[in-house]
Amino acid sequence: MMLAAFAEPVFDSQRTFRELLQAMARPAVPRRLPVLPPAPAPVRPEAMAILLTLCDAATSVWLQHPAAEVAGHLRFHAGLRLAEQTQQADFALIDAPASMPALDSFACGDLRYPDRSASLIMQVEGFRTDRGRRFAGPGIRDTEMLAIEGLPDEFWHRRAELSAQLPLGVDLYFVAAQHVVAMPRTTRLLED
Amino acid sequence: MYVAVKGGEQAIARSLELLAEARRGDKAVPELELAQIREQLRLGVARVMQEGSLYDEELAALAIRQAAGDMLEAIFLLRAYRTTLPRFGYTRPLDTAAMRVRRRVSGTFKDIPGGQVLGPTYDYTQRLLEFDTAPIPTTQPADTALPASMPRVLDLLDAEALIERIDPGSDPEPVDLTREPLMFPANRATRLQNLARGDEGFLLGMAYSTQRGYAENHPFAGEIRMGEVDVVICPDELGFPIEIGSITLTECQMINQFHGGNGTPPQFTRGYGLSMGEGERKAMSMALVDRALRCDELAEANQAPAQSQEFVLSHSDSVEASGFVQHLKLPHYVDFQAELSLLRTLAVQHTADADEQPLSVTTGAQA
Amino acid sequence: MTPRYNFAFLDEDTKRMLRRALLKAVAIPGYQVPFGSREMPLPYGWGTGGIQVTAALLGPDDVLKVIDQGADDTTNAVNIRRFFSRVAGIATTERTADATLIQTRHRIPETSLREDQILVFQVPEPEPLRTLEPREAETRTLHALADYGLMHVKLYEDIAQYGRIATSYDYPVLVDGRFLTSPSPIPKFDNPKLDRSPALMLFGAGREKRLYAIPPYTRVESLAFDDHPFELQSWEHHCALCGSNDSYLDEVVVDDSGTRMFVCSDTDYCSGHRPEARA
Repeated sequence: MMLAAFAEPVFDSQRTFRELLQAMARPAVPRRLPVLPPAPAPVRPEAMAILLTLCDAATSVWLQHPAAEVAGHLRFHAGLRLAEQTQQADFALIDAPASMPALDSFACGDLRYPDRSASLIMQVEGFRTDRGRRFAGPGIRDTEMLAIEGLPDEFWHRRAELSAQLPLGVDLYFVAAQHVVAMPRTTRLLED
Repeated sequence: MYVAVKGGEQAIARSLELLAEARRGDKAVPELELAQIREQLRLGVARVMQEGSLYDEELAALAIRQAAGDMLEAIFLLRAYRTTLPRFGYTRPLDTAAMRVRRRVSGTFKDIPGGQVLGPTYDYTQRLLEFDTAPIPTTQPADTALPASMPRVLDLLDAEALIERIDPGSDPEPVDLTREPLMFPANRATRLQNLARGDEGFLLGMAYSTQRGYAENHPFAGEIRMGEVDVVICPDELGFPIEIGSITLTECQMINQFHGGNGTPPQFTRGYGLSMGEGERKAMSMALVDRALRCDELAEANQAPAQSQEFVLSHSDSVEASGFVQHLKLPHYVDFQAELSLLRTLAVQHTADADEQPLSVTTGAQA
Repeated sequence: MTPRYNFAFLDEDTKRMLRRALLKAVAIPGYQVPFGSREMPLPYGWGTGGIQVTAALLGPDDVLKVIDQGADDTTNAVNIRRFFSRVAGIATTERTADATLIQTRHRIPETSLREDQILVFQVPEPEPLRTLEPREAETRTLHALADYGLMHVKLYEDIAQYGRIATSYDYPVLVDGRFLTSPSPIPKFDNPKLDRSPALMLFGAGREKRLYAIPPYTRVESLAFDDHPFELQSWEHHCALCGSNDSYLDEVVVDDSGTRMFVCSDTDYCSGHRPEARA
């Protein structure tokens, strides 16, 4: 049986969007998502909230594991198109970061239109703000400390390599435990 | 004592009342009915539908009445309504070759299969004000009925390979300019879409400029036709086409001289215009400007205003232009204050600089 | 509230389009994101960009403030506020401190903004280079290359001719050291409020179909030269109503002989600083 989506699409997506906007404006700070819609495995409800809020027939989404049930659910509720190639995706859903494709295999925009770049929704295991790495950049007053659990160290190397191409890049939404952490391309990981 | 101005809300409310009263005019005169506007001001209705991008005679008539006959305001009203409408689907491309023609003229051949058909036109009216209500003539059916469809004049030239050929399958899926921002360079389908929504007066002026040496492209009116065209949709779930009605269209195909270039042999080229309802001036202007905008593709010198994509397409829309020109009515106190204060500083400095100049003898001249 | 329209007027597809564009705008500070601007029931040039941004943000719990020239009571501000009351039924306020969302034309409020507030600017011309280079294809390339020589030359010529930079409003800024950005036609007096603001600032240009953003705590530099640093406007006068000497003042002609008086442009700030309010 098909699972439901947002109970109140207009207001649930508005509230979710406002959290996503603040998350993107204040990187590396976990924000609680106000509505968690049902989601077929392996999609987490937090990721589903983002997809339902931002995606529709005008967007294409690449799924790391395109289970038939997930594809059907997203097509039915969001009307979105599934992308076959990472390069063609506006959004990508990563449910297993350890085995994800290289970051630069996603669209990073071009110099005239750096906005034509992918947004990645990455399902991770949890966030800690009492320890972890330190981040700086637009949206961060001084520095923010954050540990993202379930993310291989390798990921940060790849992301640092990509930052040489700024303002090209990809923007990230990490989700876990009812929370979202956004990380735009401009957020820098500080070396300790 | 000075009190900061308050009461914007009340002022707006009073202004709306005055506007309603002024729009209605003398209440002893019956209010216009929408059917009267639709039937007796049909060319105005057509323009509002065309530039409002919505084929609905009733709504266009309503907009014209609400705008007190200000066409640009009526177009704006229709656009603002249209923007909220859900989309149920997309029609098949309209087939103007299958048009049930009511008017069709060509400036290139004396006679053509199907003939020249004047139809209802102001062309030969002599423009004398008719002070007395003219009697309504009873129209006589023609001796021979017009053919159900007429070949396009340009197709006749095509057979001789003297005119550029446009492969009907080569068009990319057009972007929807009401959903996507205009980007440069814009392809021809996008340009035509912009011109179709463009202000008739602006396009007329641009088209006229091409005839006066600013991007001369030696046009001939290959064919202008007006009549009814069926609108067909093909819903996915049915898989076969359904005719949902018909609309009136005016189509203009210009034929333009071309001496060859960019690997293309000398041949005639095309400019295309299409307008909802009877909109001949608009369709012809559009066709001329379309052709002028093809200069890069045909390796022609790009130097006239009508050839500049950014110039033409960015300034053709009356809703955008009217809004921005008229926004100057809004308060600019803050920026004006900033300029005042800057100008005072510059003026003081100018005087100081002038004072430092070595004295030259002047007689009677005031500084 | 007018029931025939969706909450906040726009349909949900349009809101999603705007929301995607806004998120990219925040992710690339100062970069102009093209978006499918809709034809709003208010004219282009009268705040349609700001209105679309506000409509994409608004929720039933928001408290909206709309100002034009710093004042809540200017007719267009009133009209936009009236529009949102009608199509979204939300609460409105004239007090800066009480607002969750502030839509503005030409000013940044004098009262410091907080992290939980969002400022939405109405922008007539998003391209800071437009008066120097009218072609969009060219200005896009200049931004791609971060080639802002044109603007530096313009400012330098000002200095050569007038001894100072002769730009008093819409004074260009460099956001996060990368994109040259128009702060919208705010007086340069307001430019310092853009720098490392606690509040998120969003910019909407409806007619030109561009959105951009300055995230909180982002470096925003007003262009200048070492020997000609950025200067703020100042007045010899105090506000005639509240006595403030640190706010932006409007000049008002009060009689036929041209007598002037100066009053705060920010009406909420002014009313909060009058003697009766302080008493």
